[in-house]
Amino acid sequence: MKTLYACIQCGTCSGSCPAGRYTNLRTRLIVRNIQLGLRENVLGSDDLWACTTCYTCQERCPRNIMITDIVRVARNIAFEEGHAKKPHLYVAHMFINTGHSIKFADEHRKLRESVNVSSVPPTVLSYPEAMEEISKLTELSGFKKKVLEREG
Amino acid sequence: MSEKEEPRIGVFICHCGTNIAGVVDVKQVVDFTSKQPNVVFATDYTYMCSDPGQALIKDSIKEHKLNRVVVAACSPRMHEPTFRKTCQEAGLNPYLFEMANIREQCCWVHMGEPEKATEKAKALVKAALAKASLLEPLTPMEFNVERSALIIGGGIAGIQAALDLANAGFHVYLVEKEPSIGGHMAQLDKTFPTLDCSACILTPKMVDVGRHPNITLLTYCEAQEVEGFIGNFKVKILRKARYVDEKACTGCGVCAQKCPVKVPSEFDLGLGMRKAIYIPFPQSVPITHTIDKENCLYFTRGVCKVCEKFCPAKAIRFDQQDETIELKVGIIINATGYDLFNAKKLPQYGYGKYKNVITGLEFERLVNASGPTGGKIVRPSDGKTPKSVAFIQCIGSRDEHHGVPYCSRICCMASLKHAHQVKEKIPGAEVCVFYIDLRCFGKGYEEFLVRVQDEGIRLVRGKVSEIYENPETGNLRLRLEDTLLGEVMETEFELVVLAVALVPRAEAPALQTLLKVSRGADGFFLEAHPKLRPVETHIPGIFICGCAQGPKDIPDTVAQASAAAAQAAIPLSQGKVTAEPLTAYVLEDYCSGCGVCEAICPYKAIELKEVEEGKRRAEVNEALCQGCGLCGAACPSKAIVLRGFTEPQLMSQIEALSSV
Repeated sequence: MKTLYACIQCGTCSGSCPAGRYTNLRTRLIVRNIQLGLRENVLGSDDLWACTTCYTCQERCPRNIMITDIVRVARNIAFEEGHAKKPHLYVAHMFINTGHSIKFADEHRKLRESVNVSSVPPTVLSYPEAMEEISKLTELSGFKKKVLEREG
Repeated sequence: MSEKEEPRIGVFICHCGTNIAGVVDVKQVVDFTSKQPNVVFATDYTYMCSDPGQALIKDSIKEHKLNRVVVAACSPRMHEPTFRKTCQEAGLNPYLFEMANIREQCCWVHMGEPEKATEKAKALVKAALAKASLLEPLTPMEFNVERSALIIGGGIAGIQAALDLANAGFHVYLVEKEPSIGGHMAQLDKTFPTLDCSACILTPKMVDVGRHPNITLLTYCEAQEVEGFIGNFKVKILRKARYVDEKACTGCGVCAQKCPVKVPSEFDLGLGMRKAIYIPFPQSVPITHTIDKENCLYFTRGVCKVCEKFCPAKAIRFDQQDETIELKVGIIINATGYDLFNAKKLPQYGYGKYKNVITGLEFERLVNASGPTGGKIVRPSDGKTPKSVAFIQCIGSRDEHHGVPYCSRICCMASLKHAHQVKEKIPGAEVCVFYIDLRCFGKGYEEFLVRVQDEGIRLVRGKVSEIYENPETGNLRLRLEDTLLGEVMETEFELVVLAVALVPRAEAPALQTLLKVSRGADGFFLEAHPKLRPVETHIPGIFICGCAQGPKDIPDTVAQASAAAAQAAIPLSQGKVTAEPLTAYVLEDYCSGCGVCEAICPYKAIELKEVEEGKRRAEVNEALCQGCGLCGAACPSKAIVLRGFTEPQLMSQIEALSSV
């Protein structure tokens, strides 16, 4: 595995990127901007959050660069530096408070029933006592604190 | 010099300009040295390797009756041979010379600490003195050289080297595993950047090889065993039965016309067919036909023999057997060339799955007048002329993840040439080359790029990421980012040509074992020095040239082949070689015959010999021994001594170092 400074900007990553078909995400440019030390171009950009972390770019990179892992690191830094997006914080909040990142709605219940699986998923919804464990985990891992700090 | 003669050592300390004198206090080292036992003369000079410096050593040897010389200067890798010759010229045995490295191992690594460096220089000189006192005169050995050469591989590299050596008057055995010489170059249509027809410039050389009185052409042959050393290699060659008498066959081709069996032609990469009795291509040398035993009806089912019936020269020999030929040669040149990277290892490009994705070499056969389509560029899927062609660079090359880390060097120019050929043969065609970097570094190459750009070829910077086939049309959709625009795009072409990497031969590991030579991390055969000894290997008498050493284009290959021939001609024309006497020998009384040395020797220079019933002793072949010292270090009984690095010599050196 090589560091991103070995990148030759061939574009295999961007061309392979399924998210890049529908968004402005150019994986290659994330690497380029980091190479040049242009922090804000990376951390302040919405594109950073368009990656689905499918790892196709990393799998195909001829220079064996850990591109997807780099995107994840960049996101952590962006989050630390206050670039968290509102929808992300909303999802994080949902998880901290309910143990589910998406609100379980009636339509979900109906859909589940239509394919013959239990109407409620085997998560905290089926096991409310697990909520205590989730709270403990979000606290111990520091996740809760970080999210609340960003609340503003 | 008798053993009892007292050592009279002269010490010469070099300034190397300011390399040494800028760090070490040379005068102090001279003072220190002159007080050491056995030192009768010590001095310093700005450049000891210069003519005046060497004259100083020679005069001092005579004036002070020196019987040992120590030079404190650079690494022995640099100038040990120089000073050995200086000693010899003054009548002193050259192996009574010792070198102290006070540059690389002292000044260059301790530049910031001149005082400590000066002390270290004294210690290094003292150690050299200790060893010098124990040096013994040695005499290089001389061997006669068989004035003939074996060249393995009959591509353009082997052909060029063979012709050069043969023209210089030496006998050459040229071994080629295929039925004809010519190699990859014979498969090419035109050659960049001048667009000469490849066959037109290659076939005259092939014909010359075929009729040269000094060349024995051994096609359909393989080197099987190699023994011996420079000047005296014994080689066994396997001559595979071709079931046709080489002397009788006139190459008329009636047999191939009549043969009922058609199989895909290797020469045309499966794009065309050949018969079970065949020559690979019309200009084959020799023109002798070969029966492909795997597919011949007589060999597979015991019937047919049509070729034998119709052959006007009565040259068919169904009873022919493989034979072994034994040769004695003085030198060997490895010109075994390259294989192509298997593009199926990168499934996103669809090679082997989509018919209209082909390799550059397959394109060469398509565009070649003697190829399966008579030179018409057509799509393999439907035989139609493509109106748009894409060339994709770096398939396997520069890809340390799934391919090879190096640049294959020829593909940029080859693809530009192909792009030009499409424009020439299919007017109005859309041609696009997708590249990461265009490397047009040779003579006339940049000019060729400009010419091709002018013809309207589109160059897009970006490696294509994936290819999908439209199953209805057989067209190919390419997904990529144009990295100069930053645009991700999908674009359709009717034919796609992949520029696949050049990789080491699949047989390279076997050949490496056979010749005992080294290969680099990239798998190609390794030269003795990347700059100064580019065609020698670390085995004296074995040379390399062409793509066996690494990817290269035809001009570089031919230049390197001529260089290898010139290097090989040195021992051949001398008729003898001298070998360094710094070799290992066995103290027979100590040797228990355990065989550790035999197993560890990288040059196969040690053999266990049965001296009497049940008693084996190691024996060193001094011609093969390169003095690496592995055996001496490994021997559990200390029964192996390396001349010039004996245990007393080394121990005294270490003792002196630790006593300062």
